[in-house]
Amino acid sequence: MSVERVFFRFDPTGDSHSLDAYRGRGGYQALTKALTSMQPNDVAQEVTVSGLRGRGGANFPVGSKWSFVDRKRGVVYLCCNADEGEPGTFKDRWILEHSPHQLIEGMLLAAYALGARHAFVYIRGEFDLPLRRLRAALGEARASGLVGERILGTPFSCDIVVHRGAGAYVCGEESSLINSLEGRKGYPRNKPPFPAIKGLYQAPTVVNNVETLANVPWIVAHGGAAYAAIGSKSNPGSRLFGVSGHVARPGLYEHPTGYPMKAIIFDDAGGVLGGRPLKAVIPGGSSTPVLTAVEVENVTLDAGSLQQAGSMLGSGGVIVIAEGTCMVRLLHVLTRFYAHESCGQCTPCREGTSWMNDILTRIVAGKGRREDLDNLRSIPQGIMGNTVCALGDAAAMPVMSFMRKFGDEFEYFVEHGRSRCDGRLEV
Amino acid sequence: MEVRIDGTTIEARAGETVLQAALRNGIDIPYFCYHRSLSISGNCRMCLVKVEGVSKMMPSCNVSVAANMKVDTASPEVQRARRDVMQFLMLNHPVDCGICDKAGECRLQDLQYAYGTPRSRSSDPKHHKRKLYDLTPRIQLDNERCILCSRCVRFTKEISKTNLLGIVDRGGHAYVERNQDAALADAYSDNVIGICPTGALLSRDFLYKSRVWYLEPVRSVCNGCSRGCSVNLWRRKKEWWLRGELGEAANRAIYRVTASDNPDINGPWICNKGFDLHKTAARERALTPMIAGAAATLDDALDAARRLLVQSQRPAALVSSQASSEELGAFETALGRRVKVYTRQDCAPAPGEVTEDGFLIKADKNPNSYDVHARFGSVPLPAADTLAHDLFIVWGEWERYALLGRARVIHLTAYPPPRTPHPDVHIPLSTWVERNGTFVNFEGKRNRFERVFDKPPLVAHAVHVFERLAS
Amino acid sequence: MSSLSKKFEELSSVYPTGTSSSLVLPLLHFVQEEKGYVTQEDAAAISDCTGVPAIQVTEALTWYTMFRRAPAGRHVVKICRNISCSLRGAERLIDHLRKQLGVEVGETSADGRFTLLTVECLASCGTAPAMQVDETYHENLDEAAVDRILGSLR
Repeated sequence: MSVERVFFRFDPTGDSHSLDAYRGRGGYQALTKALTSMQPNDVAQEVTVSGLRGRGGANFPVGSKWSFVDRKRGVVYLCCNADEGEPGTFKDRWILEHSPHQLIEGMLLAAYALGARHAFVYIRGEFDLPLRRLRAALGEARASGLVGERILGTPFSCDIVVHRGAGAYVCGEESSLINSLEGRKGYPRNKPPFPAIKGLYQAPTVVNNVETLANVPWIVAHGGAAYAAIGSKSNPGSRLFGVSGHVARPGLYEHPTGYPMKAIIFDDAGGVLGGRPLKAVIPGGSSTPVLTAVEVENVTLDAGSLQQAGSMLGSGGVIVIAEGTCMVRLLHVLTRFYAHESCGQCTPCREGTSWMNDILTRIVAGKGRREDLDNLRSIPQGIMGNTVCALGDAAAMPVMSFMRKFGDEFEYFVEHGRSRCDGRLEV
Repeated sequence: MEVRIDGTTIEARAGETVLQAALRNGIDIPYFCYHRSLSISGNCRMCLVKVEGVSKMMPSCNVSVAANMKVDTASPEVQRARRDVMQFLMLNHPVDCGICDKAGECRLQDLQYAYGTPRSRSSDPKHHKRKLYDLTPRIQLDNERCILCSRCVRFTKEISKTNLLGIVDRGGHAYVERNQDAALADAYSDNVIGICPTGALLSRDFLYKSRVWYLEPVRSVCNGCSRGCSVNLWRRKKEWWLRGELGEAANRAIYRVTASDNPDINGPWICNKGFDLHKTAARERALTPMIAGAAATLDDALDAARRLLVQSQRPAALVSSQASSEELGAFETALGRRVKVYTRQDCAPAPGEVTEDGFLIKADKNPNSYDVHARFGSVPLPAADTLAHDLFIVWGEWERYALLGRARVIHLTAYPPPRTPHPDVHIPLSTWVERNGTFVNFEGKRNRFERVFDKPPLVAHAVHVFERLAS
Repeated sequence: MSSLSKKFEELSSVYPTGTSSSLVLPLLHFVQEEKGYVTQEDAAAISDCTGVPAIQVTEALTWYTMFRRAPAGRHVVKICRNISCSLRGAERLIDHLRKQLGVEVGETSADGRFTLLTVECLASCGTAPAMQVDETYHENLDEAAVDRILGSLR
């Protein structure tokens, strides 16, 4: 049975990112079809039928998000979220480096569906090659009348501006991205109003992840129903999963949703380094609850399956942890990250993330106390659900899940003043 | 529309938030960052409530009321959230209460007592930030006490529009900072002191002068310009009066000025000149009546003045726009037909003082020009060589008697008159804080002020002076 | 016309009308690329051309981690310290860099060549451990690769 691929359909070498190469593999045919024979609503309808969900981590149905936009409001903005920053995630950068035109075509189709005259790509400030490739691709696209006024000679016009971030994980949150695009600190906004109602400069705005938008050309070319038939029913499609950590072959692997977790770790990624036993897996980027080796036995890379297991599909960044890794020191890496990235706007996240990190810092220095463990259990509860944005939850969930599943390691560290695993992170 | 909060049905207005509807109906939802005259921030998270049908708790300051909405503000979940938010706020708060001016009127203190726990769950050292920093010559900023509610930032952005303040740095390192241009002035800056829910922003002028529970506010009106904002002048409570020498100054002092909310005139704000009213009221005073430059009793001085008036053929009076409506009325009744009345705006803007600014400050620096104009019209004083009066009653401050032509002068003023030449009679007057009265502002709105303390013994109320002069 | 004003004009023609406050970040990047760091005066100049209040520019300057307030070494070494890189030896390489350069994280080597910083996830998790030197990504690192890269830079 042939497996439908949306991304890994070509050999990413040489100039496979160029306009010619993209056209050579069928690129911009979907756009041509849409602009010449479909109405904007038809494009939106295909996306709805496809069941496509956001690939940035929130997994929200894209067709629904688009449907909240009132085109009659006049100005509508489309923002591509290329601020890939979730630890364990490195798929958007692949798309930008190797198939930037796929993103551009997806953005144009989305802009057409939404009535957006202007679109932005908000890209990681740190990105080097992805930025250069994207800029080059946009140059090619503009020169070929694919971006700008009267695209392909039709009445549809759309300009795409590349806007660099400047080092803030929280700017991957859509309302934070919008505030950052307006020239401010990336403080997230309280919702309601949602960006589709009042977003960039108070205009209706849709923020979609790179991978999300890069799916749209395929959906328009093959139809939404064909996309819905790929992978799991409730969250269909073919996704780029990143496997990293203690595996023999870390990297990106494209599979339909519902692909077994064990297969991606032990087949695609060649199993755990040195043939060691598996200890834990963080399934969807660092913000998703950790699963034990036992818990991943029968889990699949599907939203429902992971939710049932007590975690989330998230951004599809599978982080593999081998036996012998110190979970206390590993959690400290994460608490340090969230404390550094907390924007500082709201009380629970601002104070809670640095508090949790201070506690972990003291524990790994051998100065942990009994009440630290109680605090590590209760602080996340004071944060979860109480913050302006999901970064609070993202900071809380690793602490909660590590304590629940590997609590004995934390108790050992506090009691003995040292790691039970020699503080090992590398194996 | 109807909304249910904790099982009680209340009347809510379209466009309101749950917090606004609750507060209007006497339901106490705690909050820090919300302020009815500032944009919604929704970042303190103290006002979280449970709305039926929504899985997460929502900040009630940012939830619009909807018909038949059911809100829970008292469940264990909500109580727990308040406890958690207080714990987070108090985590690094320095608890300076023992040395902090805000104690006794501090929202953080109040809500900690109401919703917090007595002990911190942390035994780690608190994070330190910049303390006791001179933000401006008028305002002290303590970044450790600050809970980053952003009220002050929103004030200088949305109300005074100077963008003086912002919050810099990220996460737990964030702190309130000012625009670095030292020349940037904000004529309304001191309002941030009142809206700050902690002792982070304090008046440098008032610093360490008194505990607030020894003081009480008296409702008054600012006489700094023709807007006549409502203010509170704070004096020592009678039961806390000091004895002996200490008391002489302390019991008759205005310790500080705060804004008094008046929706009709100034809303919750006043300008810095208003905040400095206690300095105006503490100006050096004229305390002794004088006849021909020599000290006299009040009775003798009033008699001398009356005799001058009786003997005069062509008396005139220069009326004060600092006078209350009651005083103007007494003058009008007693002398309005007997003397030629000239009007003026006593107080001119000082060099560099803000004049008309499109917000509160008016160019006319007198509180009652409106009533003067209503009673007497506008009758400016002509050139001295055209004046032919033999007696001038000068009411209010005046520097050069020569400008009044060759007339005898009765100078009625609260402040020391010129010495050379001296007026024929000088009667020291009370200031507006020493009596009740009314000013009428530039829009014709009346605003009442109340007596803060008694006038000095040898000083006269203007209404009595006019009664005596006319008798 | 200053180079900043020129850049502002150029960007204004690219961004949609009415979005001049969006130019704060691109202009901060521009100053940093030209000079290596951004001063208060630069922030005031950016405030002048965009019309954005100076304090808002300062907020952005202090809040985003990519902007430097003071000069750094000729090359800035930014090594990822996040989870996947840590699982693949980032700590070992950070220690190696500290020893090789004779600095603590955040400091500049005595010869002024290198400033060492740790950064969060660079989206190189599949090619960990990774670092970024100036603009360039370097992935699949080990001590030898690190030494080679630094050795090639004046």
